Amino acid sequence: MKNRVTGVLLVLGGVLTTVSFIVAFFVAGVPDFGTVTVANEVQTERSLIEIAAEGFKYGRPDWGQKIFYFHVPVALSSFLVFIFTAYYGARFLLSKNREFDTKARIATEVTLVFVVLTMITGVLWTKAAWDVWWEWEPRLTTYFIMTLLVIAYFVLRNSIDDEERRATYAAAFGILAFVDAPISFAITRLIPSTHPVIERGGLETPMLLSFLCGLFGMLMIGYAVYQVRVREEMLKERLESLKASLEG
Amino acid sequence: MAVTGGTSGRAMSWRQFRAILRKDIVMELRTKEMVTSMGLYALLTMVIYQVALSQSGTAFDPRLIAAGLLWLAFVFTSMLGLNRSLVHEKDQGCLEALLLSPVDRPVIFFAKATGNFIFLLIVEVLTIPVFGFLFLQGRGFGGQFWMIPAVLTAASLGIAGVGTLLATMSVNTTGKDFVLAVLFIPLMYPLLLAAVSATTAAVLGGPDAAAGFWAGMRMIGAYDAIMLLVAYGLYEFIIGA
Repeated sequence: MKNRVTGVLLVLGGVLTTVSFIVAFFVAGVPDFGTVTVANEVQTERSLIEIAAEGFKYGRPDWGQKIFYFHVPVALSSFLVFIFTAYYGARFLLSKNREFDTKARIATEVTLVFVVLTMITGVLWTKAAWDVWWEWEPRLTTYFIMTLLVIAYFVLRNSIDDEERRATYAAAFGILAFVDAPISFAITRLIPSTHPVIERGGLETPMLLSFLCGLFGMLMIGYAVYQVRVREEMLKERLESLKASLEG
Repeated sequence: MAVTGGTSGRAMSWRQFRAILRKDIVMELRTKEMVTSMGLYALLTMVIYQVALSQSGTAFDPRLIAAGLLWLAFVFTSMLGLNRSLVHEKDQGCLEALLLSPVDRPVIFFAKATGNFIFLLIVEVLTIPVFGFLFLQGRGFGGQFWMIPAVLTAASLGIAGVGTLLATMSVNTTGKDFVLAVLFIPLMYPLLLAAVSATTAAVLGGPDAAAGFWAGMRMIGAYDAIMLLVAYGLYEFIIGA
């Protein structure tokens, strides 16, 4: 039953993200600069207005905006999946059941994939829209910190040999990181940001459709990949224990 | 682990807390290892700063980055100290003895964190005049002086608390100090950002210094409250593993 749901979700997620892409490029309009608000604080030689005007001059609409349909769903998914790192970490600490440790680890793996995708798309967009590859801007900074935390989780895991200790420490660090990420998000946000913010109700129907398809598609893919990986690990563990029992 | 016996649980915990803290302080007074190594490390950082700023010219006002430089020094010194404080415990088998004795786990956490907090504070208090002497001579201090100890205390509390938990983890890894740095710096990021902004407001002064200072202090307070609570909750699991 669960396996079938996973398969369906994987396919459905793939279809939805594809639909999102098609809608994004062929149906959804390119917004004028009213939809994204960009404060002119980025330190480039040219002003943002000039860059935008240049795009319009050559009849080239702001294609950089299209990455929004990929970037934002992936970023949101990474946060949502990261919740499971902390959730299963806490459950492991309370029960000492190894299954939860495996689940927490795989949730973090999926988070890492999403985090890397967000970073790549984010950096591409920054270059397209702000004409710089990187900017120490609150949201980018926070996300950078989150990337480091997710990497640190694996560094920690890899430097401990004892299995139970590794699981306990990883669970504790997962919870700490999960608590820390929103704090750094809140703290950096208290400084005025140059990151565009989606205004409420600012999306036209095709854009909203595309965005929602992308979001749910990504979440489904994330969940399906997570389930597949969990099943793989469970089988691997069963195999190992069978091997051990045969030898012993 | 409930404490049973004649004295009430709280009084017992308090005595245990003092005993562990006293052990750390006595050991420090005899060897003077922590403060010497941390202080020397901070001094060496100042040398590096001189190199870093050597080409900045006389027009550059170091007060603008003074807070950042100071906290940079404190972060690296504190990592050195945290690592040492737990490596000692482990190498000399003290941690195991502590775990065998009927001491509440949170008491161990609070005692170790308090010890680290005190040593860190001592090193900070020693470093600041040296830093001022080397880099800020002839440049006025803008804000009110009490702001500096306030930031130091509040931020060191967070560093010592979360740092003690992380160091307890990292001493049991193969990477030790490297793992501590990888875990410590990203987790400390919000605290450091707030501490630097509050310290900068204190150093530069000006009309909005108080507002900037209190904004930073509120953030430090929130970080301390949340993270210390989480660290306290997790310590029992960590130290038992």
